[in-house]
Amino acid sequence: MLETQKAFLQQINDNKGIIHKVSKMYMDNVLDQEDLFQEIVMQLWKAYPSFKGSSKFSTWMYRVALNTAIVFFKKENRKIDKTPLQEQLDIADINDSADKEEKLAYLYKAVQELNQIEKALIFLFLENQSHKEIAQNLGISEVNARVKLNRTKEKLQQTIKNNGYEF
Amino acid sequence: MNFDQLKDQWNESETSSNEISENMLKVTEARTPIDQIRKKMKHEFFGQLISLLILVIAPKIFHFTKELTTIYILFYGIICGFMAYYFFKFYLFYKHSYDLSLDSRKNLLWFYYEMKLNLELYKALTYIVGFILLAFCAIALFTINSELLNKIFAKVSLTYIAINIIVTILLVGIITELWAKFYYGKYLKQIKKIVDSMDEE
Repeated sequence: MLETQKAFLQQINDNKGIIHKVSKMYMDNVLDQEDLFQEIVMQLWKAYPSFKGSSKFSTWMYRVALNTAIVFFKKENRKIDKTPLQEQLDIADINDSADKEEKLAYLYKAVQELNQIEKALIFLFLENQSHKEIAQNLGISEVNARVKLNRTKEKLQQTIKNNGYEF
Repeated sequence: MNFDQLKDQWNESETSSNEISENMLKVTEARTPIDQIRKKMKHEFFGQLISLLILVIAPKIFHFTKELTTIYILFYGIICGFMAYYFFKFYLFYKHSYDLSLDSRKNLLWFYYEMKLNLELYKALTYIVGFILLAFCAIALFTINSELLNKIFAKVSLTYIAINIIVTILLVGIITELWAKFYYGKYLKQIKKIVDSMDEE
């Protein structure tokens, strides 16, 4: 294996949580999530020569992963899982009734109602990025990022409530 | 809803334990809009190449006279020239790599304008080839059966002929626009929608 490839795989495996979360955030179907995961890994590898090391690897990774997810086309005619979340969770509860998992499951479900940019805003917010960093990653003004993020949070809150959950 | 608490849980949540292996780096079919358009353009390129090869034997199939064959070769040469020029442009677009590490707005705008530009080039080529072929058909009609044409011209008015030409041009235009919209338009529309959602205050 080439040294570059080895170094890339090492770094990407250290940060694979980013790709995993982006995939779950942008796709509701497991097969589509796998496709997006693969696509992001591939685009990261293609873009790797452009990574000069002036920023942290994870910072660069956020951009490539999000930009890929924003424009990603999922396969058409794929069967969508329309099982209500409560039913899915009831099954999950048998194995793991953790409250945390439940909250995150509701979050992922509600996030599917958001548009591509709103998903990016929430993702970056959850990843502890400041308004300034969110603005820089998306290429919008800091004020715009703040306003949009607040609106998105409200929208998300409402969707979760409509899904019969509150936390 | 406590977003700070949610944030903590998000950061503590477990992610997949599967290792990313070198097999995942092997290039499969990319699914960004640009890649999709490139793929379709590649298919169209081969389709048009086959059409050009079939057109080579048209004089034999339709038993063109020597004069008509000469005119045909001239028109065929012009079409090949235009196609070579435009396909060279498409090839550059096909080979041009893109940088996903730009900020999202710059990245989306790059995708949008690059696609739009190539779509316009594609439409321009279709118009050019369409009109050259129509012009050749008109000339062929004059050459093959000039007597019949003279009779037609004697019976119908110039206005009627002009209307027919305009309708034909409009039809070529409508078909080209609809084809471009059907084949490539959805990608452009999707990107435009995302860009617009970013610009909303």
